[in-house]
Amino acid sequence: MPRHKYHNCVVMAHNIARKQALTYLLGVCVPSSKQNAAKIRIQRADFDSYLSMYFTKYEFIYATDPQKLCKTGDTVLIQSLPQKLTRLITHKIVDVIYPLGDITDPITGKKVVMGRYREHIEEDAKLFGDLKSMYKYDEAPERGITAGKRDFTDKKTYIKYSDDPKDYDPYAVNP
Amino acid sequence: MARTIDDYKIKWVRPVKLPSIDPRQSGDLGLNVSVKPTDLKVLYDKSKELQDADEIVKKMFTLEFQPRKEAKNLEREKVIALVKRHICDRASAEVKIAAMTTEIQYLQRHIAEQRRNIKFKVFLKELIDKRKKFLKYMRRWDYKRFEWILERLNLIYVPQPKIAGKVSRKDALRRLTKDYCDGIIQQKLDIFRAQLKEQQKVFFAQKVKNLEYILAEEKKYDLNPTVSEKEIDVARKKAEELLKETSPHHLSYLIPYAKIHLSKKDITM
Repeated sequence: MPRHKYHNCVVMAHNIARKQALTYLLGVCVPSSKQNAAKIRIQRADFDSYLSMYFTKYEFIYATDPQKLCKTGDTVLIQSLPQKLTRLITHKIVDVIYPLGDITDPITGKKVVMGRYREHIEEDAKLFGDLKSMYKYDEAPERGITAGKRDFTDKKTYIKYSDDPKDYDPYAVNP
Repeated sequence: MARTIDDYKIKWVRPVKLPSIDPRQSGDLGLNVSVKPTDLKVLYDKSKELQDADEIVKKMFTLEFQPRKEAKNLEREKVIALVKRHICDRASAEVKIAAMTTEIQYLQRHIAEQRRNIKFKVFLKELIDKRKKFLKYMRRWDYKRFEWILERLNLIYVPQPKIAGKVSRKDALRRLTKDYCDGIIQQKLDIFRAQLKEQQKVFFAQKVKNLEYILAEEKKYDLNPTVSEKEIDVARKKAEELLKETSPHHLSYLIPYAKIHLSKKDITM
């Protein structure tokens, strides 16, 4: 079917005139190979019309993060940018909603570990007679002291492909 | 003309395949607890009867004259004491990880001697995986405690890569060639950056002079000044900053040869 003479112009005008709606998304930060951008994994429910069932589907989005707000594993809120920064970077990090392994209960405002409050864990230890060796949350330094030294979850790991002692990379896993 | 990979300085060494029970794979860097043969068996150091017993009786309860596992038990107690919450703590996640770590390192030492003990090998592999799972959960639930325990028990945690696969010569060479080419590009860019920096020094020095001349001329003929003192100051500051910045030592020697180096490479590539 022949298109209208001005079809393309109309489409372009429509694109320009369309109102920019800024969308928010919630996702999990995963190791990214970009320097100033975080890679965010968005979980979606994908409908399979043949089985009439929803399946989990992951979508990956790059969000600019110049202040280095989020670390690997954090659940973050991202917002779409009015204009793309690059071909890949389309969003920006707004806030870290749930830092990994440091959850606060939204109702009571207390810190939580799995199914228990931190306070209760410490109280239990005190009832038994706590020891010096006990882990103390308040005295512990911020997350990231062992990153790149003992804990290699901050960047992508890969199977080692060459054994060169000169450029040793701890993120290369022995085959 | 370079035609094959052997003509470049690309050397590939096939990475050695390590068994999963190897300490380098399991991430054990060794525990810093001392267990001597003269130490008493676990809990026997608290015995009142043993304190005023005969020397020979005391000696009977030292690790030297006890089964081998008693040494392991004592080591386990000492390692657990590094992370214990309270005196009765036997079930917290950190204590479990500590106990597993002792067992793993004991078995690793044992298997180094007795390589054919398959049952131990299987048990050790499963235990390493179990500890890794515990560490994974610990990281998810309480990140700071996870880091604390890595430091306490002298462990390393490396997650398995998302893309697993075998090492092949072809793939490795492709990657190495890519690294090599990227290196050349980076080197060229660094040299070019250094050259531009050199040019900037001359440019800003000249800019200050030119702006000062323009300002003076305009004042001389009573014209509206198009240049402000502020602009001159900014340019002067920039020039001073650039002069202070010394070019990186490893690159400075390359600059005179940069042109020759680049042209030669361009032909050969």
